[in-house]
Amino acid sequence: MNRYILRRLIQAIPVLLGATLLIYAIVFALPGDPIAASAGEKRMDPNIVDVLREQYHLNDPFLVQYWYYIVGLLGGDFGTTFAGVGVGDIMAGKFQVTINLAVTALVMEAVIGVGLGLYAALRHGRAGDSLILAATLVLISVPVLVTGFVLQLLLGVKLKQAGIDLFPVAGVSEGWRGYLLPGFVLAGTSIAYLTRLTRNSLVEILRADYIRTAVAKGLPRSRVVGRHALRNALIPLITYLGADLGALMGGAVITETIFNLPGIGQQLFSSVYLREQPVVVGIVTVLVLIYILANLVVDLLYAVLDPRIRYE
Amino acid sequence: MRVTKGARLAAGTALLALAPAACGGSTSSGSGTASADLPVRMELGEPQKLFYPGDTVESEGAEVMAAVFAPLVGYDENKQVVDEVAESIESKDNRVWTIKLKPGYTWHNGEKLIAQNYVDAWNYAADQDNAQGANGFFSRIDGWADLNPGEGRTVSTKEMKGLKVVDESTFTVTLAKPFSQFKTMLGYTAFYPLPTVAFGGDGKITEAYAKKPIGQGYFQFDKPFNKGTDQSIDLTRYDKFPGTKPKFTKLRFKLYTSSETAFNDLAAGNLDIHDSLPPSAIARAKSEFGERYLDEADAGVAYIGFPMQYNKTYANVKVREAISMAIDRETIADKVFSGTRAPADDFINPLLDGYRPGACAVCVYDPAKAQEQYTAGNGPKTLELGYNSDGPHKEWIEAVANSLRANLDVEVTVKPFEKFAAILDELDQKTYGGMFRMGWAIDYPSAENYLTPLFSTVEIKTGSNYAGWSNKEFDELLAKGDSAATREEGLKFYQQADDILIREMPYIPVYFYRTNAAFSQNVKGVKIDLLNQIKWTEVEKAG
Repeated sequence: MNRYILRRLIQAIPVLLGATLLIYAIVFALPGDPIAASAGEKRMDPNIVDVLREQYHLNDPFLVQYWYYIVGLLGGDFGTTFAGVGVGDIMAGKFQVTINLAVTALVMEAVIGVGLGLYAALRHGRAGDSLILAATLVLISVPVLVTGFVLQLLLGVKLKQAGIDLFPVAGVSEGWRGYLLPGFVLAGTSIAYLTRLTRNSLVEILRADYIRTAVAKGLPRSRVVGRHALRNALIPLITYLGADLGALMGGAVITETIFNLPGIGQQLFSSVYLREQPVVVGIVTVLVLIYILANLVVDLLYAVLDPRIRYE
Repeated sequence: MRVTKGARLAAGTALLALAPAACGGSTSSGSGTASADLPVRMELGEPQKLFYPGDTVESEGAEVMAAVFAPLVGYDENKQVVDEVAESIESKDNRVWTIKLKPGYTWHNGEKLIAQNYVDAWNYAADQDNAQGANGFFSRIDGWADLNPGEGRTVSTKEMKGLKVVDESTFTVTLAKPFSQFKTMLGYTAFYPLPTVAFGGDGKITEAYAKKPIGQGYFQFDKPFNKGTDQSIDLTRYDKFPGTKPKFTKLRFKLYTSSETAFNDLAAGNLDIHDSLPPSAIARAKSEFGERYLDEADAGVAYIGFPMQYNKTYANVKVREAISMAIDRETIADKVFSGTRAPADDFINPLLDGYRPGACAVCVYDPAKAQEQYTAGNGPKTLELGYNSDGPHKEWIEAVANSLRANLDVEVTVKPFEKFAAILDELDQKTYGGMFRMGWAIDYPSAENYLTPLFSTVEIKTGSNYAGWSNKEFDELLAKGDSAATREEGLKFYQQADDILIREMPYIPVYFYRTNAAFSQNVKGVKIDLLNQIKWTEVEKAG
């Protein structure tokens, strides 16, 4: 088991190296001068641009620049932005926000998605089931942008104007409450998918022979559903949730912008725009790492759920 | 030099374009518990850099700097330059300027403000090795060239020979050439002084200082600003400030990436002042905020430019005039921008002295005459319009294109560039031959600032003369204005230079910007100055 985990972690090293090189190359290939881009709309004195290009090794060929970056990285230095701010500091703060957001979303997905799916499966074919199917369809088809703005306006602004201060409109200064609304918006489509996934696999399993056997043995319904059906249905759900964690972290650009959360999504967007290789590569590296770890955790959970699955 | 609200656009634009139409609604009820210690909360986009006076060239950082630093001069209600920290700024020949400081100013750490602080700060900003964004603002000072020998060359001195400390509160500035508007420039961010503690052992501004700048203005930083993580910048009034102090004690800048979000926060009562309302929020702001909605002139101008330097397609001035007359500015200002812009009728903005209403006759919409003149002038059969898609420009450029198609009977293609710098690159390399959008916001409130940086010959190489237009008579008039004995006399020459622009039309002025702000019930007396900054001395907390 431990050897398996170690092997998986060692496998991650070439993946990470490949990913950094690829991302570095992609950002390098973007058109435009990063120094000029960092100045926004105004034109910088060409003399100053030259000095800055020299400072950030921008006149060197691609591989040399990449070399500087990797050497720095091995020494624990993520580099600096063109405004001279340490990338490590930026990432630490931003990841905190995004992880909070992603975890909020993930918990909502798991609780609401599995709960609704379970409910629908048990009401299979009846009104409650149809209602949930219709509701999830709506949730899937409405873009995040719309749910985000509408919920912000209704639950953030209108509710507060009515005197009920429940959901902050923006920012994280109000602590965990600030994550509720954006977390839900971010989780929105995933909740719908997870509901349907849970419902469908449960409906399937509830028809299986071993469930009929369990019922015939006279086991209570809660035990049949909880121990025998749900546990088996969880395997695809865990796979989905594991993959979704990465997607949530990377896909938070819109949610973070609407709700003004200073997270990784926003940062990634503006850094790609400003062509700040160190920031983009640093963030992507950490994201890749999170993906790898999440996948590992998912694989290990399989063994917990189904004892027939073992790792050597 | 600053044109838009910097980096925030990057994240905000995608949303801006898609933002759902705002619903009208009831008036905000607000919870009016205004305790003395609650801060006044002001909207801000994230500053692009930490706080270096010589490197803060965008509007967000400048807004913070203006609260922390006091400028040598300010601008009053009548658009006149008034002394603030300066006791007097005098010159006999517009070349050698003697600047005397008022007594009583101290830095937030208690040290006395002295003339040397200015000289140190300016020398630092002008040194190419320090790569400060506002470096160019010092180019008029004698000795600037020594500090800027060019790429790869080492700077032999650390001081401009034009700067001399006379005594503790007096210094002189010698310019390379006379410049009558020099005093007006001194209100700009780049000209703030720096205390001795700002500099580290290596002579550079320390990061610790840039995170928590010590100024001599009416607010001081509560704690260092961690760029990238902090969502607010908290300031407290500096009670030893000798000038007019604000009437409230705490000020908080809240950072937003989306202007719409900030507006929602304002509507919900979590924010007090928002001074850059997005067009999508205007209708709602008017109905919800009533008297607390401000719509004021802004000194910015938007143009359509021609690559005059290398593309002869537009060489005929009659053709350029025809294109100008074919643009329906009223409709663009009213419909595309919901009235948050005004049709342009001069190269100088109405906010400043020197503006003459209707000065540009060919800026008036006249489709019939445009068509006639265009045909007579044998204008090109196809036109191209370039713009940068990272700002809110697509809609109005499309509107201009439609005007031209309809009125000139030509084919018009609209070409988006991913960012403004990409247009500038292609203009530099002479690879783009189409017309292009251009915008200008002033650095200091002088009519001259609309002319020299954009249209003078010397600015083709290093400045902002992107058209590459050059006119000897124009340059001479600028020089006369620069060396004129008084501001008024200088203005006369600048207006004559403006006349040449109107005659030659190297750019077409399209609209003047407006500032749209709204504020909560917690505050009153919100006013915006010529540099688009809130006048903190006027703002009060509402009972």
